[in-house]
Amino acid sequence: MNNMTPPLAYPEKSLKKIFAKGKNKHIKIIDFVLIVGTVLFFASFVNYARPLVIAPINNLATTNSSVLFEFERGNIILIDDNLEFSSPQKIQAEDNLVINLKTGKYYWKIEGVLESEVREFTILSEVNLKLKRVEDKYLIVNAGNLELDVGIYENKSFVENIILDIDESKEVSGTKFMGEQR
Amino acid sequence: MNKFFIFIFVLFFVPFVMGIGLTPARTTINFEPNLEKSVDFSVINSEAKNINLVVSVQGELAQYVTLPETSFSMSSTQNSKKIAYNFKLPNELLPGLHTAEIMVLQLPESKNADETYIEATLAVITQLYIYVPYPGKYAEADLSVFNLDDGNIQFVIPVISRGEFDLVSVKANIDIFTSLNEKVATVYTNEIEILSKERKEVTALWDTSEIYAGPYRAVATLIYDEQTLKLERNFNVGQKRLSIESIEVNDFTLGDIAKFEVLVENEWGENVNDAYVQMLVRNDNGELMVDFKSPTYDIKSLDKTLMVAFWDTKGVRVGTYDSSLLLHYDLLIDEQDLQLEINENSINIIGLGYVISERGSGLDENRLLTFLVIGVILLIIINIGWFLFLRKRLKK
Repeated sequence: MNNMTPPLAYPEKSLKKIFAKGKNKHIKIIDFVLIVGTVLFFASFVNYARPLVIAPINNLATTNSSVLFEFERGNIILIDDNLEFSSPQKIQAEDNLVINLKTGKYYWKIEGVLESEVREFTILSEVNLKLKRVEDKYLIVNAGNLELDVGIYENKSFVENIILDIDESKEVSGTKFMGEQR
Repeated sequence: MNKFFIFIFVLFFVPFVMGIGLTPARTTINFEPNLEKSVDFSVINSEAKNINLVVSVQGELAQYVTLPETSFSMSSTQNSKKIAYNFKLPNELLPGLHTAEIMVLQLPESKNADETYIEATLAVITQLYIYVPYPGKYAEADLSVFNLDDGNIQFVIPVISRGEFDLVSVKANIDIFTSLNEKVATVYTNEIEILSKERKEVTALWDTSEIYAGPYRAVATLIYDEQTLKLERNFNVGQKRLSIESIEVNDFTLGDIAKFEVLVENEWGENVNDAYVQMLVRNDNGELMVDFKSPTYDIKSLDKTLMVAFWDTKGVRVGTYDSSLLLHYDLLIDEQDLQLEINENSINIIGLGYVISERGSGLDENRLLTFLVIGVILLIIINIGWFLFLRKRLKK
């Protein structure tokens, strides 16, 4: 008997091609699943691990020297007066924190597993004087957020200059009191 | 009738106060020939009263400043009012700082029926600072010293380039001296470039792990291109602190005088004078039973001294007593709680040593983060495995 192989409906090369096509399709599906899955996982990882900064809002301008820092997923507040954070004030804080700062422009961010976005805020300088009558004298109060140089005058003649620290008060006498940033 | 009561209340209970504020307190601008600008500022009616105000300009640059409004009123309901001043600078000014002061003056209050009023005038100033660049290269700098949490010292030198030209190389050497003027270290900052009118910082870190606590002086030499600038600052390393090394009571017999020997170490780089220990002993009810002190001692810098305090134990019974040991020096008091175990022939002191509390670990959050990090590592391995090995093998 002649051992002849029966003719194939499709040639062998075509079958291989079809098989290869199916394999390529599967490979491409696995490629797609892996790439999309990896991207999604990384996105959610960054989203979760990146500290969330809440307050102060970006570009806040205030005359209040006490600033509330509100954040999540971080434990170090970095504050500096320049964007390079060349000499940052590092404050360890597990929770929200109020920090007293001098007047000026500040940049801040939170450090955790990753770093948060950088925000900025400004504490505006405020010169503010209060004068209270105390019997025949006056009590002069620095109610602003800067050290003040206060000129005291008696009937248009200059008497003296006094320096008032923030919230400091002094008993004085005179007819005109003029305060400015030292 | 109601109005009468309000009048009486105002007369007796409302203090006579004037108050006024301005923000910002200063506006700083770099000089440009013929620069014209309008600067806004706010007047704050801090006492919420009806007030009359007058605005005027004084100072060197007054002739270049104009005021659109020279007098105005604010009602008690008006917290603040935004006003402005305009300036037009000349073509030329000498190098350096030039200023103008915009003054807002609150006029005296009108007289009340009882003659109680403030007849003084109150004025506040917002300053205009104009910086004219110096010819060539010029640096303005300051030296700040920060005590870091790890005990090390950070030196920060903010530098403003106030010259016409950029500073190509800015760096500093900082020599550190003790209070006896002995040089203990030199640290070097980083080197930077600063453009004209720009402000940047150079910094240096001083490792103080082998340095005694105490007062020091830093002398920085800022080197910018071929010029130098000297800066000085005094600072402390660590805190002024005396520490109790041990307490002993030897040769004790109940009913006799107990001699407490407290060994105290001065960890500060300067002598500490007039230090003494005080001991408070309480009975079972927490009432103070006895309060005794040592004489005062002068302790040399980084030295140890034995302070002695005596307690007459006549009438004291055997038992354990709560006690506090107070170490007084300068204006500081270090307190330590102890227990005295008093026997017929001995006093044992229990509880010498400080308790350092541990911080919470935030375990749940850390666990989730660990899981996420493991996930990232696994994904990297899977991706490498697939794209570099498995995929190629399957394709063959």
